[in-house]
Order: sequence, then structure tokens, then C-alpha cells
Amino acid sequence: MSILRTQVRDLPAGQLVFPAGVAALAVYVLLGAADIVEPISAGAVGPRVLPYLVGGGMLVAALAALVSVLRGDLAEAEGGEDVDPDRHTSWLTVAALVALFALHIVLIAPLGWPLAAAVLFTGAAWTFGAKPRGRAAVIGTAIAFVLQTVFAGGLGVSLPPGPLFEGVPFLHG
Amino acid sequence: MSLLDGFATAAQPIYLLYALAGVFLGTAVGVLPGIGPAMTVALLMPLTYSLEPTAAFIVFAGIYYGGMYGGSTTSILLNTPGESASIVTALEGNKMARAGRGAAALATAAVGSFVAGTLATVALTFVAPTAADLAVRLGPVDYVALMVLAFLTVGALLGSSVSRGLVALTLGLFLGLVGVDAISGQQRYTLGVPVLTDGIDVVLVAVGLFAVGEALYIGSQLRKGPVHVVPITKGWRSWMSRQDWARSWKPWLRGTAIGFPIGTIPAGGADVSTFLSYASERRLAKGRSKEEFGHGAIEGVAGPESANNAAAAGVLVPLLTLGLPTSATAAIMLAAFQRYNIQPGPLLFENESALVWALIASLYVGNVMLLALNLPLVGMWVKILQVPRHYLYAGILTFAAMGAFAVNFTPADVVILVVIGVLGFFMRRYGYPVAPLVVGLILGPMFEAQLRRALSISEGDPATLVSSTFAVAVYASVLVVMGVSFWLRRRERGLEEVMAAEERAAGEPAATPADRAADKDKEMA
Repeated sequence: MSILRTQVRDLPAGQLVFPAGVAALAVYVLLGAADIVEPISAGAVGPRVLPYLVGGGMLVAALAALVSVLRGDLAEAEGGEDVDPDRHTSWLTVAALVALFALHIVLIAPLGWPLAAAVLFTGAAWTFGAKPRGRAAVIGTAIAFVLQTVFAGGLGVSLPPGPLFEGVPFLHG
Repeated sequence: MSLLDGFATAAQPIYLLYALAGVFLGTAVGVLPGIGPAMTVALLMPLTYSLEPTAAFIVFAGIYYGGMYGGSTTSILLNTPGESASIVTALEGNKMARAGRGAAALATAAVGSFVAGTLATVALTFVAPTAADLAVRLGPVDYVALMVLAFLTVGALLGSSVSRGLVALTLGLFLGLVGVDAISGQQRYTLGVPVLTDGIDVVLVAVGLFAVGEALYIGSQLRKGPVHVVPITKGWRSWMSRQDWARSWKPWLRGTAIGFPIGTIPAGGADVSTFLSYASERRLAKGRSKEEFGHGAIEGVAGPESANNAAAAGVLVPLLTLGLPTSATAAIMLAAFQRYNIQPGPLLFENESALVWALIASLYVGNVMLLALNLPLVGMWVKILQVPRHYLYAGILTFAAMGAFAVNFTPADVVILVVIGVLGFFMRRYGYPVAPLVVGLILGPMFEAQLRRALSISEGDPATLVSSTFAVAVYASVLVVMGVSFWLRRRERGLEEVMAAEERAAGEPAATPADRAADKDKEMA
């Protein structure tokens, strides 16, 4: 809820797709509720009751949101200190950040947490426009190892240091 | 007596140190632009993973109040307003800063927060045990009614439209269903994936929605160009003049009186209280103050900022005594309690008496620390405001990834984090509020347990749900709260229109996005 309201003025395609997607999820929730095994011992109210209520509620709410978009009530995108409401959404940035997360997740096991985190930080900083890139890489690596040292070494959170740093005591949780 | 025991605990040097760390980190992270109190608490949760419960909650209390303090600094000194709870502060505070009175705005916000925070904590000290005594007598039927109240107020009243709020709420309720049903032991919506059988951890959802979703959203629409921080004059003398004090103390007290009760009832939390305080200060202003409103009136900072902090303490009443979170931040705090297998509710004051009173005592301590820290360190907060945005958001994402991984030390949790983050991005992009989702997720399983308990006692007769006077009274109050809040919302909209009109009349450069959009339209035409 913001005082400075922002009208999203581009095509309402996404505005319609989102509630439609939620409506589809609601149908899945309702159909899936029928598949939940209801033991005879469950008594009057079994594990299916709330799923039916939630699915039904979700369907009604999503359809109501859909109707309100069709009637011209376009949503206000959220405001924020670093958000420029007049800029067009850069989907590429979002896709790049999600891809970086995927890479990070894959790298945790083979490389260990600090290197995987360095990749995530550096890549994200680049995506957000950090220049020069070399400096961002150095800062990213430094921050990843500081986090590893403080949380694994200091606070005992078991982040895996990875095969390269297996022998370094202060990186161990 | 119990409060004194609490102080005895909180005053141990090690716990004072934890409290200091909490308020310091909370303020530092809260000052960061784009980070509201809910995200501050969610992001800093991993810090407390390895602490024992008392230390963890003392740190948490510090983070909670510190995050609130930090937010007001941001909205006064940055040209671009941020999180909703302090956005009203930005209206007058930012204008004061630009008129060279930034130090006075920061000072009245800090002292007002201290006064309101302390008075509201005193109120909490007296109200909470009484409320807990009453709450012990509530049965499952009454809890069902209270949770319906919380669902409807949080779901339907936060955000701009009822249907969008309810979409968010039901999405949260659905995520709460995933996993093994605690009562019958049956799997629900697990898609045969082993990770999902344990359910979706609240930490993943909170960090995913608030940190990852927010960073993705900001990344997609990042404001380009340098960051403008309004410069402030240095030195003690410029903080508050005698006249500033004279104009501030009444708004502080009025803000407290408005904020605390609104915080305790689930009616939209801090947002509503800051707006109400702003509106009443504007109406009560006379003479010079009246002329200054809209151009930087100190009352417009003192009142809402106090209301904000008083509401933050008020929110703790239903959280601690009923186990009902009425804001996203409170929902995340509840998740933190559950990590330690502590269930907030009427029995908390009996079973975990030492912990609760240490927590409440540390709220007093934290408030004093914040007052002492905030003003002298203002130069440091300004530096934090200037952190390059690419490193800031890269850091938030990395920290979020670490917090998610540290929940169970499995990369699968980071996958869930990203999926929730993308959902959060789309919700922001298309104007769906995220707070109801968090509240739905955490209250859903509690609601189901109470509902099924109530109905199995009555052997399936739904009439049992209106069988207690308390429950009927709650359902009646749902109607009243809905009515009042729709009235408030209409007034809020009216006020916005008045202010937009004044802004145009004053011939200032277009300051609202709507105005900017209108200008753009003209250019295109």
C-alpha cells in the first residue's frame, strides 16, 4: 500500500496471465484434494476439508481479480526507493538472475559453498551493472569467504567449504 | 516481579552485547534502501540459528526495533520513498531535509520513536499478561474465529484490492498444505518429491518473497543514475530547537495513543496507524504549522514515526498471547519461535516465563540503545545509504541463498527459495501484496488443527463454530473492522488526492509517479 500510486500502463497480458495461472492452480488444488487418502480413522473432518476450502477460495479470488483487470482496474506495481516506475520491465535481468541461482545451486556440491556464492555474487553484481567487472569479481569472492568464515567458522553453521578448502580449519562449520 | 527477573537476565553483559548487536545490525540493514522491517528480520534470521533461545530472541527484539528506526532514516534522507510503514514520514521528513532541516527531522523521529517505543512497551508489559490470562480460557472454536478475523483483515485489508489480497492469502494457505498432514499422516500435494514431505519451511518463503522477490523486481526496474542523499548539517545544536521540542511532544504522545491499540488489533498494522496519525496532526495543526504542512512540518514526522513504533510494540500483544501474527514481520518472528519449538500463545507466559520477560525487558533496553546510537551515528547511516546498488542487491541475493541453504543444508531448499522468489517477483510486478501470503502460510496449519479439533468435538456439526459467545463477538467485530477500514481507505485516497492537487498547485516539479506518467503522456501526445 503506497501513497504514491503507480499505474502500470503497458499491455495487460501479464495482468491477465497471473490470475489465470492462479485460477489454474486452484483447479489443481481442488482436483488434487480428491486424491488425498482419507483414513477411516480421520473422523468427521479429514485431511481433505481444508484443501477443498482453500482451493475454492483461491478460485473465487483469482476469478474476481481477473474480472477486475478486465474491467480496467490495472494493478499498481509496488513502489520502492530504487524502483523507477517509468522504466520498462527488463525480463532479461530477471532471467539472468534466476539462471545464476541455478548455476549456484549446481555448484554447491562440487565446488563448496564459498566458491558457489562467489559466482552468485559476482554474476548478480554484473547483472545489476557493476563496472569494472574485475573489481566486482574480487569483491564477490572476498564477501563469499567472509560469509563462510563468519558463519561456518565463527557461528558454526555447517556450510561445506568444498574440496579445495577442505583442510582450512577456519572455514569449517 | 517477573519483569524485574527479565531485566536481571537482559542486563547480563553477554545479553547486553547481543541486544547491542541486534539493534546495530537491525538499524544498519533497515537503513539499506529497499529493505523494510519484514525483510530485515527475514534476512538476519540465519544469524540466530546457532544461538540459544534467550540470546536469539534478544537479538531478534533488537533487529525488530532497529529495522523500524533504520527505515525512517532512509525515507527522510533519500529522495525516493520506500517501505510503506515509514512512507508517511517521508512526506514531511523529506521536505524538511531538503529545506536544510534534516537533522531536526531525524531527531524528532528518533526521540519520538524512543518515547513511543518505551510507552508502548510499558503498555505491552501490562496488557500482555492480562490478555494471556483471558486467552487461556479460549477453546478451539474461539481460535477458529480469531484466525478467520486475522485472515480477513490481513488478506482483504492490506493492499489495494480485496481480490488480490485474498489471492495472496490463499496462495499462502496452499503452500501451508504441502507436506504430510500432521493429524492423519497423509501426504498432500507433495508431487512425490521427498523434500516436500516435510512441508515448505516458512524461512524459505519469507526470505524468498521479501529478499529474492524484491531483488528480482528491483533488478527489473532499477533506477539508473547516481543516488541522491540529502545532505544534513553536522553538530548537536542543529538537531532540535526549543521550538521543535515544543511542537513535537504532543504529536509523539498522540502517535503512541493511536499506534499501540491499532497494532494490537489485526487491522492493517503500522500502515494504518501512521496514516491516521498523519491525518490527525494535519487537522490539528494551527498557524505556522498549518502553513508548513506539505512543505516540511515537524509534526508530520513526529506523529507518524511514533505511531509506527507504538504499533510495532502493539503487534507483539496478539503474537505473544494468542500466537497470532497480524503483520508479515510478526509472522516471521512466529516462525523464529517455532524453530526453537516454542509456541507463542496463552501458555507462553507460564511455560517460557523467563524467556518472554527477558524479551520484553530487552525491548526497553534496545530502545535506549537505539536512541543513543541513532543520532550520533547518522554520518555512518548516510554512508550505508550510498552503497552502490549493484553490490547491495548482489549481497542481498547471496545472503538469501546462504540463509536458505542453512535451513537444512540441502541445495533443494535453495531451489524452493528461487521458485518462491520468482512468485514474489510476479506478485510485486502485478500489484499483489506479499504479506498475506506469509501470514496465510504460517497461520494455515494452526487454523486447520483448531478447526478439525473443534469439528471432531462436535462430531462434524458446523454449528459448533458459532456456539461460543466469544466467537460470535469476533465474527461481529469482523464486520465492524471491515466497515471501518473501508471508510479509512476512502479517506486515505481522499487525502492523497488533496496532496497531489496541492503539489500541482504549488507548481513543484512533478513528484508523484502518477504525475510523471501524466507528463509523459503529454510528451507523447
